[in-house]
Amino acid sequence: MLDFGAVSLNLGDLLTQVIVFLVLLLVVRKLAMGPIVGIMEKRRQHIESQISSAEKSRQEAEALLAEQRRVLDEARVEAKAIIDRATKQAADESAKLVADAQAATERMKADASKELAREVEKAKAELRDQMTGLSVLLASKIIEKELDEAAQKATVDKFLAQVGDRL
Amino acid sequence: MHYSLRFEWLGMVFDVSTIIAILVSSLVVLLLCVGLTRNLTTAAPRGGQNVMEWIVDFVTGITKSYIEPKKAAHFVTLALTLFLYIFISNQLGLVFNVNTSHHNDPNTGQQMSQTVVDALTLASDDEAKKQKLEKLNEELNATDPHSHGVVIGWWKSPTATPSVTFALAFVVLLYAHYLGMKKSFGGWLKHTFLNPIHILEEFIIKPLTLPLRLFGNIFAGEVLIAFLLSVGIFGSIPLFLWLGYSVFVGSVQAFIFTTLAMVYISQQVNDQH
Repeated sequence: MLDFGAVSLNLGDLLTQVIVFLVLLLVVRKLAMGPIVGIMEKRRQHIESQISSAEKSRQEAEALLAEQRRVLDEARVEAKAIIDRATKQAADESAKLVADAQAATERMKADASKELAREVEKAKAELRDQMTGLSVLLASKIIEKELDEAAQKATVDKFLAQVGDRL
Repeated sequence: MHYSLRFEWLGMVFDVSTIIAILVSSLVVLLLCVGLTRNLTTAAPRGGQNVMEWIVDFVTGITKSYIEPKKAAHFVTLALTLFLYIFISNQLGLVFNVNTSHHNDPNTGQQMSQTVVDALTLASDDEAKKQKLEKLNEELNATDPHSHGVVIGWWKSPTATPSVTFALAFVVLLYAHYLGMKKSFGGWLKHTFLNPIHILEEFIIKPLTLPLRLFGNIFAGEVLIAFLLSVGIFGSIPLFLWLGYSVFVGSVQAFIFTTLAMVYISQQVNDQH
C-alpha cells in the first residue's frame, strides 16, 4: 500500500478493479456487443445483398430490353418483307387478270366476227335459194310458158352467180 | 480531505468507497449496455439501438484508426468497455456526493466504534497509524461548533483513485504484451529488450503515464470541486463552470485512454511499426 494521505495505491482496490473490469468485459461482450455487432453485421450483409440483387435486376432488365428490341426489329423487318411480297403478288395478280381479260375479249371478238361471217354466208345462201325460187316463179309468170324447171334452174343459177358476185 | 473506510484482507488493503464506486460504475455501464441493446432489429434502428450503434461506430472508428482493419474488430469490445467505464466513472463523481459526518458527543456519551476507528486509520506502519489516530481523535472531539467533525466519504469517481487507473492500465498493457508474445515471441523479445529506450518505454513510461494522466485529471477536478464547495456562496459560479468543464475533461480523458490503449495494442499486433 502506497499512502500519500488523501491518495493511496491499494493492492486490494487494484485487484478488485482488475477482476471487476474483466467480468464487466465478459458480460458486455456476451450481453451487448455480441448481439449488436451481430445485428450490425447482418444489416450490412442485408444491404449488400439488396444492392447486388438490385444490380442483378438492372442487368436482367437491360438484357430483356435488348432482347425485346432485337425481337421488335426482327418483326419489323419481317413485316416489311411480307408487305413487299404481298404488294408484288397483288401487282402480278392484277397484271395477269388484265392480260387474261384482254385475251378473253380478243377471243370473244374473234368468235363474234366469225359467227357474223357465218351468219352472213348463211343468209346469203338462203337469199340465193329464195331468189332462185322467186326468179323461176317470176320468169314462169312472165313468160307464162312451162319450162323445164331444171334447165331453167341451171340458167338462173348461172345468171345468179353472175349477179351474186356483184351482190 | 475526507476519510474513507479501509480494511485489510489477505494482506491487501481495500478501500470501501473505491469498491462502492467501482461496483456502481460497472453496474451503470452494464445496465446502459444491456438497456440499449434490447429489441434489436436489422431494419431501421430506433431509440436505444441508435445510441448504442453510434457508440459502437465511434469506438470502432478509434480502433480502426490504429489497428490494421482486419484485426481491429477483435478489440472493439475492449475499447468500448474501457471507453464507457472510464467515461461513466469520470462523470459519476460530478453528479453527486455522499458524505457522513461523525462526532463524539460527550453529553450522550456516543462514541465512534473501535472497528470504524481502525478502518479509518489503517496505515502501513505503527508510526503513521498513531499520527492518523491523533488527528482523528482531535476532529472527533472538536468542540468548535463550526467543525464538521470526521467526514467520511462514501462516493467518488473510481478514476480519481490511482488503484483504479493503474488496474485499467495494467490490464491493457499486460494484454498488449500478451498479444505481442503470441504473435511472435522472438519478435516481442527483440522489440522490447534490444533497445534501452524501449525497455524504459515499455516498463516505466507507459505503465506510469497511462494511469497517472487519467488519475491526475479526474483527481484534480474533484479536489477543485471539493475546494469550491468549501468556499460557500462565492464558489457557486466557478463551481458551475468547473463542473461543465469537468464533464468535457472526463469525456476527453476517456477518449484519450481508449485511444492510447488501442495504440499500445496496435504496436504489438500490427505487422509494421
